[in-house]
Amino acid sequence: MITININGKEIKLEKSVTVLEAAKAAGIKIPTLCWHEQLGQYGGCRLCLVEIEKIPKLQTACTLMVTEGMVIRTETEQTAEARRGMLEFLLINHPLDCPICDKAGECELQDLVEKYGAISGRFREKKRKIPESFADPLIVRNMERCVMCTRCVRMCEGVQGASAIGVIDRGGHSHIEPFSGGRYDCEYCGNCISVCPVGAIMSRMHKHSYRPWQVTGKTETICPYCGVGCTLVLQVRDNTIKRVIPRIGSPVNNGLLCSRGRFGYEFVGSKERLTTPLIRKNGVLEEATWEEAISLVANKLSDIKAKSGSDAIAGIASPRCTNEDNYVFQKFMRTTIGTNNIDSTARMGFAGAQAFMENIFGQGATANIISGLANSDTVLVVGGDPTTANPIFGLQVRACSRKGGNILTVGQMKGLEYFNPVKADPFLYTEEVLLEGIVTALIGKKGLPGANLTLEAKIKDINTSLDDVEKKCGVPAKELARFVDILAASATPALLIGKEIVQSSGASYKLLLLSAINYLANGRIYLLSERSNEQGLLDMGCAPDLLPGYRPVASAEFRKRYETLWDTKLNEKTGLTIFEMMDAASRGSLKALYVMGENPAFNLPNSSAAATALRNLEFLVVQDIFLTETAKLADVVLPALSWAEKDGTFTNMERRIQRVRKAVNRGGMEDWRIISDISKNMGVKLNYADTEKVFHEIAAVSPLHRNLTYEDIEDGHAIYPYKGEPLRDVMEEILTSKGKAARSTGKLYLRIERPLFHSGTLSTKAPALVKIYSRAVARISAETAASLSLDEGDIVRITTKAGAIELPVSIDKAADSSTVMLTNNFEGQGAYSLMEYTIDPVTKTPVLEGVEAKIVKMTGT
Amino acid sequence: MEKVLLKNMENPNSADINEYKKIGGYKNIPKAFEFQPKEIIEEVKLSGLRGRGGAGFPVAMKWTFASAYPNFPKYLLCNADEGEPGTFKDRPILEKNPHLLIEGMVISGYAIGAEYGYIYLRGEYPHAKDVLNKAIAQAYDNGLLGDNIFNKGVRFHLTVHQGAGAYICGEETALIESLEGDKGQPRIKPPFPVNVGAFSKPTVVNNVETLSNVPYIIEVGSEAYSKIGSQECPGPKLYCVSGHVEKPGVYELPMGTVLRDIIYMHCGGIKGGKRLKAVIPGGATTPILPAEKIDCPMDFVNMPKHGSMLGSGAIIVMDESVCLVKVCYRILKFLEHESCGKCTPCREGTGWLRSILGRIENGEGAEGDIDLLLSVSGNMAGKTFCPLGDGAASVTQNFIKHFRNEFEEHIKRAKCVMRNE
Ligand SMILES: Cc1cc2nc3c(=O)[nH]c(=O)nc-3n(C[C@H](O)[C@H](O)[C@H](O)COP(=O)(O)O)c2cc1C
Ligand code: SF4
Ligand code: SF4
Ligand code: SF4
Ligand code: SF4
Ligand code: FES
Repeated sequence: MITININGKEIKLEKSVTVLEAAKAAGIKIPTLCWHEQLGQYGGCRLCLVEIEKIPKLQTACTLMVTEGMVIRTETEQTAEARRGMLEFLLINHPLDCPICDKAGECELQDLVEKYGAISGRFREKKRKIPESFADPLIVRNMERCVMCTRCVRMCEGVQGASAIGVIDRGGHSHIEPFSGGRYDCEYCGNCISVCPVGAIMSRMHKHSYRPWQVTGKTETICPYCGVGCTLVLQVRDNTIKRVIPRIGSPVNNGLLCSRGRFGYEFVGSKERLTTPLIRKNGVLEEATWEEAISLVANKLSDIKAKSGSDAIAGIASPRCTNEDNYVFQKFMRTTIGTNNIDSTARMGFAGAQAFMENIFGQGATANIISGLANSDTVLVVGGDPTTANPIFGLQVRACSRKGGNILTVGQMKGLEYFNPVKADPFLYTEEVLLEGIVTALIGKKGLPGANLTLEAKIKDINTSLDDVEKKCGVPAKELARFVDILAASATPALLIGKEIVQSSGASYKLLLLSAINYLANGRIYLLSERSNEQGLLDMGCAPDLLPGYRPVASAEFRKRYETLWDTKLNEKTGLTIFEMMDAASRGSLKALYVMGENPAFNLPNSSAAATALRNLEFLVVQDIFLTETAKLADVVLPALSWAEKDGTFTNMERRIQRVRKAVNRGGMEDWRIISDISKNMGVKLNYADTEKVFHEIAAVSPLHRNLTYEDIEDGHAIYPYKGEPLRDVMEEILTSKGKAARSTGKLYLRIERPLFHSGTLSTKAPALVKIYSRAVARISAETAASLSLDEGDIVRITTKAGAIELPVSIDKAADSSTVMLTNNFEGQGAYSLMEYTIDPVTKTPVLEGVEAKIVKMTGT
Repeated sequence: MEKVLLKNMENPNSADINEYKKIGGYKNIPKAFEFQPKEIIEEVKLSGLRGRGGAGFPVAMKWTFASAYPNFPKYLLCNADEGEPGTFKDRPILEKNPHLLIEGMVISGYAIGAEYGYIYLRGEYPHAKDVLNKAIAQAYDNGLLGDNIFNKGVRFHLTVHQGAGAYICGEETALIESLEGDKGQPRIKPPFPVNVGAFSKPTVVNNVETLSNVPYIIEVGSEAYSKIGSQECPGPKLYCVSGHVEKPGVYELPMGTVLRDIIYMHCGGIKGGKRLKAVIPGGATTPILPAEKIDCPMDFVNMPKHGSMLGSGAIIVMDESVCLVKVCYRILKFLEHESCGKCTPCREGTGWLRSILGRIENGEGAEGDIDLLLSVSGNMAGKTFCPLGDGAASVTQNFIKHFRNEFEEHIKRAKCVMRNE
């Protein structure tokens, strides 16, 4: 216990902290500028100077640790004078252009000058002139306003881990600049903007468009992009989102954001948004009234149901819609329509991987706290770069490395390259052998623990030596031995699994191997999730085999419970997966499809085949906020509300339920309301007064959400396992199917690039993100470029069995020479259009491996 | 007095290991190895050796902290940045007597338990770099550096790291940042380098001259050593004298030699028989002394009593023709240029002071400018992150304190009063 005295007040402290922290705890405010709670100590601004008895000089409160008996005075004539002096120094070269500075009103310098004053008018020399830099499309730098606190630099380097900006020059010439020059070549997280105390680094997106005090609404909600579920504060003026900022203290992102969350909001106000329902008449989509559209959908679906049966109709739910939307949607499909044909793009990997892991480790096995990852002693990353798939989660991996944790990667992870990874980088498509090698070595080192005999029975005979691995995968046995040693020695390892490994051949067998690694190393699993409510929609029962809360449709006992609750008779037949729906559509056995907030004509592999299948339907309803490639094929298009225009909840990848809140008004209806209107027209009432009432029902129906309320969610109590106990702990048999290595040397294979700046096609409707990453490119290695005599920007035609597209090439020195990387974000240029696929028999995920591609240079373009 | 630091300087091949050995060089290493490291530290403590880099910190105290701090490896850094204007005292050792420094570093490294040493060398000393590298190579060849020195199982490796020309990198924590590859800016203390220094390990930073004293202490013992020079801080001291004296240069004299004697006895008095106007006794940032105040013993203890500091022992002598407003302006211009920019008062204050001084020197001074200079430097003094900014304030204050008249004249007559126009 340490006793100190601040301003005459005695204070007891458990341990030594800085004078600043001690004062804060005692409710005494000391002015600061370079200090920031998310950053380390710096001690540069000298505003926090305080008097300490027995020390002749003033001391900086932000760096000085308290010691027993210390007597501190924070507000004396001497400190006031010193602060006035510092403020004068800061202002002599400051432009004092508050009237035209967007920061005015929330500027720390302005506030400090207001409080402490500054001697003015003594500076007769010329002010430093540095023109404002507009070289970057998103971030504007005004270095005349910079107070050189270096908070931006420390954020970029120490927290974001991008090290993209620095203090250039020294002394009075010091200024902040990206190392890339005027334009940033960085991760565009904008976290530097968040911490800048003045108007020196700001977002261009709202420049001169509003003043902080003119904000009429500040709505705290959840990011619409990925499964991390970051808290966003939407600042609104004139019913328009002006700015998105994070909040320090929020559970997942604690004051940080990624580029998508911060800059990706403009799609809400896009002119391309659908405004009225559209009905296809004589082959063209024409504007229609809601009444027309709704009764048409209701009638058509009723007809088809009567004519061809319930199972001739299917629904695709949305990982971008709320739990409430998805719940009502599946209930509509199951009760009003009477089918279990409901699925989503979670089938692309997340659903299968989670089901596999939960079967072995129990429900909730993947519900691990995001913010705890940084404290792991080892993080093993497989199948995708978390820093691009789930950026804020990726920061946890970087933080783990910074804290001294080991980062192990299978393959190259660009975003972790500077975080000291120990890499096992096997030849393309040879991960299976590598993972077998790791399992064999781990068993050799640690033995089988005997806790899960079913799992052990499946893995005990695996026998792939490190030398085998070296031969087949090209990973030196010595390096892999080190990799395994680290893993084996680790006490709190975490295993991060990305989509790519789930979309490879033999996915289930690889998942078994990953389970084995997790089991042997006694780790915990995180599944990367690329959509904001992918987890939630599964929880809501948007799956052909599972009712809300993961009750199997196949079980009569469970069906009975829902039948009572819903006052209906449930179809006992397991429904179609999203891929089976496409097959059924092309065969003609599926007649109608209702798509809510999804774009299968673009987001499913072999998307042109999917589009053909959709065209083959008798009736296609698409409910969306944009006229997507799928909507363009629809018979009826229903305009939906975006996430910023409605209330509800999202469940993130760690199974944390969070509130989505309405920030702007827009005519129209929530997805669930449109659906209940249709249902009503079909004679089945799905009536809820508001979104919260939907949630009440979820809490009553889903055992996973038992008795949960919006209040619980708001209090932050909605983290799995919520109030109840984990549900399904009984293990079924572990089914696996091995893959076949599909690679032959000298060939090029098409693979998906998952860029940091985009997410689905949604982000391409956000101009800011398009400014950073504006077009699809074919990314190839320098070696490939040389062998085909290609230069950066040359137009090539990429051809696969499924089709061809023309694109500019981009040369990436670090790329694998056997691959060509392409995104699936830009309409008309998606990688999926070139990818035929098969389905893994166990996980039901598409196998996107071994897609051979040819590249030909186009001349004259 | 027998020369300790500048021994053998007349020999054109003094930097060669064989020449050094001829005059008894390197025999203090095996002698030192006969003692426990602790005993060597004790011997240095009894010798009274203080750091020659400017602050005069007791050497043995620093060594004790670093050797007692439980973390390995430990580092010994030799500060050869020599950047303070007027200072060139380390240069003869670096260029002509490198083996003395190496011998000193091996013994010091042994004393504190450091197995790695770096010489952080001023960027503008390219010749010294070549000399040092050659000398280090010779020392390795002779088994005086390496994994098993004198077959005693003592390990010491030595590397020269060249700075890039920033004065602030002479400050020990900025030096460490720079050595590690970061921007040269001082670090927060505590933790002090002796606990968490280079590469986050216990680190001793000592000046070239400091380390070069060590072999002699081993050779003659602390008692004999402490009889040289001042009682409070004994030993030989290098004074580098520049400016208006007949014989500028580096002088090795007993610590505490009186400033007047250095100028008039050793350096032959003021050049051309002119009148002395002022002396800056310890490098550009130490307080200026007017001609009548130079009867002060030049050591760490006595100089503060006489209104200045020993600093690096760089004596800048100025005769009656010198305009002190201009000198003050030049020093501030230097400090403005060298300010690292980390802290507000130095980053902004040095430039402001420089421009006011520039105005005054150019005849554009305004009434109130002197008070403004004092007020601005007052706002800096004691509030900067490191001594550089403090130095800027103190230079301004001391020039005005002793020569206010000259400043006032500049303003009143709206021109430089020392220029003949
Ligand atoms: C701005 C500044 C510049 C300095 N430059 C040097 C230098 O060039 N050489 C040096 O030995 N010490 C320099 N010092 C002092 C060092 O910080 C440190 O005190 C010294 O190297 C310690 O060695 P010593 O104990 O042997 O004197 C400087 C200090 C400051 C504040
Ligand atoms: S936007 Fe993010 S990555 Fe870019 S400079 Fe700022 S902090 Fe660094
Ligand atoms: S740009 Fe902002 S955050 Fe960065 S150093 Fe300047 S004032 Fe500080
Ligand atoms: S990490 Fe995901 S949830 Fe967080 S801001 Fe980025 S896209 Fe949104
Ligand atoms: S006083 Fe401040 S700005 Fe000046 S050199 Fe030291 S740390 Fe840098
Ligand atoms: S807040 Fe303490 S020095 Fe800046």
